[in-house]
Amino acid sequence: MIRLEPRQDITFWTPFRSIGLAMLLTLIFALLVLFAMSEQPAEAIWQMATFPWQGRRMEVQFGLVLQQTAYLATIAIGLSVGYRANVWNIGAEGQFALGSITAYAGYLLIGSPDTLWALPLVLLAGVIGGCLWALIPAALRVTCNTNELLTSLMLVYVGGHLLTYLCIGPWKGDPKAGQAETYPIADQIQPPTFISGTELHAGLIILFAAFAVLALVLLFTLLGYRLRVAQHTPKAERFAGFEPRTTIWISFALSGAMAGLAGAVYMTAETGKLIQAENYLENFGFAAIVIAFLGRLHPLGILLAALMISYVNVGASYIQASLRVDDSVADLIEVAALFSFLATAVLDQYRIRFKRRNATRVNVT
Amino acid sequence: MSPETLAFLANLLTAAILLATPLLLAALGELVVEKSGVLNLGVEGMMLIGALFGYIAAYNLQTITCLEELIPGFCNKEVRVFTFTDYLLSLVAAAAAGALLAAIFGGLTQGLRANHVAVGLGLSILGAGLSNSLGSNFFGVNYTSVQVADHPSVFGQDLLVWLSLLAVPAIWYVLQKTRTGLVIRAVGENHDSAFALGYRVSRIRFYCILFGGAMAGLAGAFIVLVHVDWKEGVTVGKGWLALALILFGTWRPLRVLAGAYIFGLLWASELRLDNLFPAWQLEWKTLLTAAPYLFTIIVLVLISRNPRMIRQNAPASLGKPFNPPS
Repeated sequence: MIRLEPRQDITFWTPFRSIGLAMLLTLIFALLVLFAMSEQPAEAIWQMATFPWQGRRMEVQFGLVLQQTAYLATIAIGLSVGYRANVWNIGAEGQFALGSITAYAGYLLIGSPDTLWALPLVLLAGVIGGCLWALIPAALRVTCNTNELLTSLMLVYVGGHLLTYLCIGPWKGDPKAGQAETYPIADQIQPPTFISGTELHAGLIILFAAFAVLALVLLFTLLGYRLRVAQHTPKAERFAGFEPRTTIWISFALSGAMAGLAGAVYMTAETGKLIQAENYLENFGFAAIVIAFLGRLHPLGILLAALMISYVNVGASYIQASLRVDDSVADLIEVAALFSFLATAVLDQYRIRFKRRNATRVNVT
Repeated sequence: MSPETLAFLANLLTAAILLATPLLLAALGELVVEKSGVLNLGVEGMMLIGALFGYIAAYNLQTITCLEELIPGFCNKEVRVFTFTDYLLSLVAAAAAGALLAAIFGGLTQGLRANHVAVGLGLSILGAGLSNSLGSNFFGVNYTSVQVADHPSVFGQDLLVWLSLLAVPAIWYVLQKTRTGLVIRAVGENHDSAFALGYRVSRIRFYCILFGGAMAGLAGAFIVLVHVDWKEGVTVGKGWLALALILFGTWRPLRVLAGAYIFGLLWASELRLDNLFPAWQLEWKTLLTAAPYLFTIIVLVLISRNPRMIRQNAPASLGKPFNPPS
């Protein structure tokens, strides 16, 4: 009989035990997945682990990893704000789409400028768009007590259809393109690249800066403290004079703004235009949910989790090209990691005791 | 009424049944899960996995007879036979696959007390990822060559349509009138009291989760075996709509039935707007595809504006962490 016994001695170091175990489990799962899904497992595992040093220039590969890390970490830290306080925004994908849309709208609105100085305005438009889109579920929750989880998710589908509609309708670009897309924005407004041939561009700096600012706010300010209170003891939140409704507003506004910023940077730096939803959205919004939980909702954890998952993702597409291993191994490893981290979290609060069932225990049923 | 109108209405109803049945099956399964106090957000993932495994089973079970073989190995003309027994076996495969995925959820949330929402979301991501990778491994990138033949229907409708309709009174009866149902509701209303009475809360919940997974698997199988062929993300968010339906039906099977058919009818008529207004632009049709999701939001708002209805029917312990005294 396995029993869970509440832990009495919770110290600063307690979580590291479960994190270590989760990492070990993830590693085992990852090896198993690679073993099952490739014809040359040893080569696949080796290349997956060391892909930046294989073949092409190292900075190219690390650029790809950092690029993904920036998007995932930025969206995930925004989401973690709400998750701490049991406010479930799972519609980051839609807020990302709306951020891109309003960034493009902002670009058109200020007269399609061809100077880098207009970039902040375009990004600001994206932030506002993502934020407003996220405030819809927040408003419905606060005024009508509607389940924010379902409404935010439904708005993902609505946002995706809106994006496609704009690409085939009002903002329709080159009709000869193989997909529905808008006309590209001016080259001059796209964030400049640092090292030619890599994905390292100024947009990533903006994303990491936004991440850092929010991380500092969450760790060292009253607002962060207030959200931590809401997370651990919802009752204490009220006694401390923190209004739960405000928490909902703040959570949605912040997570929407971060996803909107990511969407705006993505539009200006990666694609340079809007494309129909299936070809534009890369599920950053959904992957970020996993990242937030992998990082245990802690800014530092989120950054590390985003790095780890991006490394796995880029590595998976590398071995897909070199060894023809399907890149869905990345998805499987990602979920294996999520479940390992969620499963081992129980060790933070409980001790697992293996005991034989007590014969004298009275059976009440 | 003119024959054309009648034919149009009959056509509309047929389409509505096709769209409503998977919603109803998945929602009824999840209803039992939520009645036991568990919120499983992995319905979409379990549906996708059920759909894939149902389809794989059906594809392998059907008998393909070649009529004309030009070169050995290349069939020019073939007959595919998919018998009723094959169909039943495919359904069993789909239900088992759904239940297996649900077992992961059950093990993590009930055994290891992990967060329901996080694990449920993970399950949906896992279901989508796994069904995509296994699907492309199995069928290749081009799905069009892979088809499953039609199977016999029962009294003019598919077996699962009747089963889903029968499940409504059955689940109502079990939940409201039997001892089992009372235990499930007790666990969902107040897990601490149920535990104090000696009920194995986690175990009862685990069984309910398995049932919900099997139902979601059946719902997925219905989509690919009766409605459309398998493709990536074939459920197009129906699992999430099923979750919304339970709120719409305020945890009552009969209202869930009504909701499923209202959704089905709306969706079907929206798909038929093409025929009604052929002059409409493609861009407007794209925007209209978002209508079911907007409608869901509106319905959710209307329902939740009435807190009394929610409070009377919602399981009181829904989604709350359960830490039994040890």
